[in-house]
Amino acid sequence: MSNMIGIINYGIAGNIHSIKKAIKKAGGKVKVINNKEELSLVDKIVLPGVGSFKDAIQELENDDLLDTLKIVTLKKPTLGICLGMQILSTLGFEYGKTEGLSLISAEVKPMIVEAKVPHMGFNTIELIKPNKLFEGLMNEEFYFMHSYEVVNYTDIVTLTDYSGHKFVSSIQKDNLYGVQFHPEKSREAGIKLFENFIAL
Amino acid sequence: MKTRIIVKLDVKPPYVVKPVHFEGLRKVGLPATLAKKYYEQGADEVMYVDIVSSLYQRGILFDEIEQTANELFIPFAVGGAVRCIKDFSKLFHIGADKVVINTYALQENPEIINEAAQIFGNQAVVVNIEAKARDGWYECYSDCGRIQSGKDVLEWVKEVEKRGAGEIFLQSVDKDGRQKGFDIELAKKVVDSVHIPVVVASGAGRLEDIKKLIEYANPSGVAIASLLHYDKYTITEIKKYLRENGSIEVSK
Repeated sequence: MSNMIGIINYGIAGNIHSIKKAIKKAGGKVKVINNKEELSLVDKIVLPGVGSFKDAIQELENDDLLDTLKIVTLKKPTLGICLGMQILSTLGFEYGKTEGLSLISAEVKPMIVEAKVPHMGFNTIELIKPNKLFEGLMNEEFYFMHSYEVVNYTDIVTLTDYSGHKFVSSIQKDNLYGVQFHPEKSREAGIKLFENFIAL
Repeated sequence: MKTRIIVKLDVKPPYVVKPVHFEGLRKVGLPATLAKKYYEQGADEVMYVDIVSSLYQRGILFDEIEQTANELFIPFAVGGAVRCIKDFSKLFHIGADKVVINTYALQENPEIINEAAQIFGNQAVVVNIEAKARDGWYECYSDCGRIQSGKDVLEWVKEVEKRGAGEIFLQSVDKDGRQKGFDIELAKKVVDSVHIPVVVASGAGRLEDIKKLIEYANPSGVAIASLLHYDKYTITEIKKYLRENGSIEVSK
């Protein structure tokens, strides 16, 4: 089976350029997915996201990708990045209450912390349980750039400490993976994470 | 939180230049080459600003920016001549992670900050401040310290935060390019005025200057240009110094 990775291209806000570049650097083959028909051509899915929870869901709906994604992501390994991880959740609270893809039992809420928000910069991860996506990456740093966090209790893979506040920095449930940080912006460690994703 | 060490590339296409005091320009190399070099040295971010575009009133030169983005696997912020949502959109599409805005928001239409933040998220909108010391206050300038606005820096940063900016990039017209140390009082005032991250530029001449700034004002990041362009220090050396001499946390 070939190992073609599809990056979902939706809305006007998407920055898929750097994700594409990083997957290629990691040795992967990439296809940009613009409609639901193209989803059948790929083996794995990367769900990026720039903007707000509400807009992202709206854009997926406008592009007629929302319902298909809910089904396809159950079968094909899927990696949600930043907002792409957040929208896997049940509910989001950015610019009002919005229903997410509801693939992971979680809610997305503003970070409440005694420090500057957005949480922006390199930070470490604490591995809660062994995970193939994080093989060889235990002591690495990743780049974060977010004001909201995923509140989940059942599917946590890593936690990250921001100024004494621990939040969920990655999740996994069956074929679904989500990272709050940007692997495509996290130097060699991020490339390695994509290598691990390709190897799944 | 680890203090970010950010490289600032002032670009007068096709070259990175080093403005002294925001005026006399010296060529230091091509943006893509320098960005790659600093990425390999361990820069946490690269910021690319076309410093003549607003002044010349021409549009954004996208090719140079895209080439520079191609070399990087760290965040890339881009500014210069950004005037509409379409500019933001196009810059994100060619590889920018954050878009930096000053002139248009300051002098013409601050509402663009609200619009951009709602569409692209707060984290993607950086407001560049060019501060000049006045008698007891700081005034916001634009176009590389050439044009006054009458606006008070401390009021303007609070306003842009309210409008949805995700980060402040603070430059000092008085200190820029002189390598004589940062305006640490200005930095502290701005950091303490807002809840969003503040990156401070203008003034790194010695390693002690950077340490002093971080210890006194606690900014989220420090932007460096001259020190690196003239090969006085590498980013690796700067980080090592901060770690060992100031017990300041920086990324690997």
